[in-house]
Amino acid sequence: MKRWFLNIAAALLALLFVFPLVWMLLVSLKPDGTTVYSLSDWVDWSGLNADNYAKVIRDSQILRWTWNSVVIGFLTTIIAVLFSSLAAFSFSKLPFKTRGIFFVLIASGLLIPTEAILIPLYETALHLKLIDNIWAIILPGLTNPIGILLLKQFMDGVPRDYLEAAQIDGSRSFGLWWRVCLPLTRSAMISVGIFYFILSWNNFLWPYLSITSAENMILSAGLPTFLSNNTMSLNLIMAASAIAAIPTILVFVLLQRHIVQGVSMSGVKG
Amino acid sequence: METQITGRKASVALRRREPLRLRTELKAVLYLIPFLIPFAVFYLWPVCRGIWMSLHVWGIRGMEKYVGIANYDKIFNNPDFYVYLWHSFYFVLLCTPTVIALGLVLALLINERIWFRTAIRSAFFLPYVLSVSVISFIWLHLFDAKNGPVNALLGLLGAGELNWLTDRGLVWWAITIVTDWWTVGFVMVLFLAGLQEIPPDHYEAAKIDGAGAWQRFRHITMPGLSSVMKIQIFYQVIASLKLFGQVQIMTGGGPGDSTNTMIRYIYVTGFKKDMFGLASAQSIVFCVIMLMIAAIQFKLTDRKDG
Repeated sequence: MKRWFLNIAAALLALLFVFPLVWMLLVSLKPDGTTVYSLSDWVDWSGLNADNYAKVIRDSQILRWTWNSVVIGFLTTIIAVLFSSLAAFSFSKLPFKTRGIFFVLIASGLLIPTEAILIPLYETALHLKLIDNIWAIILPGLTNPIGILLLKQFMDGVPRDYLEAAQIDGSRSFGLWWRVCLPLTRSAMISVGIFYFILSWNNFLWPYLSITSAENMILSAGLPTFLSNNTMSLNLIMAASAIAAIPTILVFVLLQRHIVQGVSMSGVKG
Repeated sequence: METQITGRKASVALRRREPLRLRTELKAVLYLIPFLIPFAVFYLWPVCRGIWMSLHVWGIRGMEKYVGIANYDKIFNNPDFYVYLWHSFYFVLLCTPTVIALGLVLALLINERIWFRTAIRSAFFLPYVLSVSVISFIWLHLFDAKNGPVNALLGLLGAGELNWLTDRGLVWWAITIVTDWWTVGFVMVLFLAGLQEIPPDHYEAAKIDGAGAWQRFRHITMPGLSSVMKIQIFYQVIASLKLFGQVQIMTGGGPGDSTNTMIRYIYVTGFKKDMFGLASAQSIVFCVIMLMIAAIQFKLTDRKDG
């Protein structure tokens, strides 16, 4: 009895959660000008087609934005994970005297969110002539210290013996990082990397400010320009949203285990 | 005796390495440099620069003149500041408790042996991976008063037409619903990780002692989740204070000014009114408030531990 109740409650809640996304997909596939409102609209699948997608792709630069989001996401993720891993290695395996000072300095990056330094950040980007350049999005994306804190915990778990054995085999410190620590923390790096990728893909406020031309826009910041464009129908807007949503949904479905692990790592251990 | 000898040996070895210390020091710092360069340019420098800018009249073309603390004077004498600050806090009061309660319920549900557990967990987490513009677009239309499915669904239950996004009383609830839906998966996953740390034999023992479901929840689950709970509240308060995307896209701060938040206030002052100096000062005031809240939370939760 109780089991049945729980099962039904869970299934209903899950339906409620995916309802907005199903609605988005359905509207995006309906003929331009029709909506999904009443129950009969929900089950009428007769005219479904991909015309709206074709139209959005033709009339806007959405594919270009998708490409920009992909490039920025990958560059940010790879660079950030490598830099974080190097720093984590230094904190975890190289005993140095000023380590405490540097650690506090870097951890202070968790205190002040980007939202609170928008104005001077914009001014800095302006001076460096980075406004409307994809590096204006990538470089500030590398300042998040969470990767160092997480990876350091995993580096701490790399046994001393391994390092000593590698040292005897003639590895110097860079080799210890590259040949021992990097492979042993691979799964943690993947989780951290996915976390960075999603952060970058969904980053909204800063790209919205720092990118001014249509061709350098990324998806999350480019979408709102559709709202000010009155000629866009609901179906086209939902097709555009779906184009932005589908890649992350796919990444999520494929890499679920890592994502969930990454998120719980950031909260419980971090 | 033996330890003394090895101790002395170790110190001899250390002393011999003494001249090398600077080198080891530099080598360790070398590994930090790749991270530190962007960190210094795009975090540390803007933090310091912001303080400097807040003391000036500053437009998009650059510094105009030094005005001391006049910008701060302006902020505290402007009633708008208090209104928007209150909006940000009001959103914390609405969003933080609801998202945490809902996340806890979902985590407890997933933790039971239900059918399609992984699929259902994915459904709850899925919205979290979408960008704020996508979720705002979807809900902007779901909440449409005339043609929105939310009203259609509520109509089936007998509710009248609700103006979700244009009614001052409802609009905050609309934004809370969107935000809860979007971020609750994150809260749930953290609680799930916390639930898995509670040893199952505690439940077994309580069952044998005849404790009911509610008692087990109160005396085993809740204490077991207390450290995760602290982190969650901490995260969610800060995240709620930073509200921007949802209101920018869904309401534009409206109706009237009723959903304008601190971050949007800073954005409008800086980028729409071209007053960088004043906006920097606003950022600093808001940042100090956030840090104070973080410190208070830290103090409060720390005391409970001891």
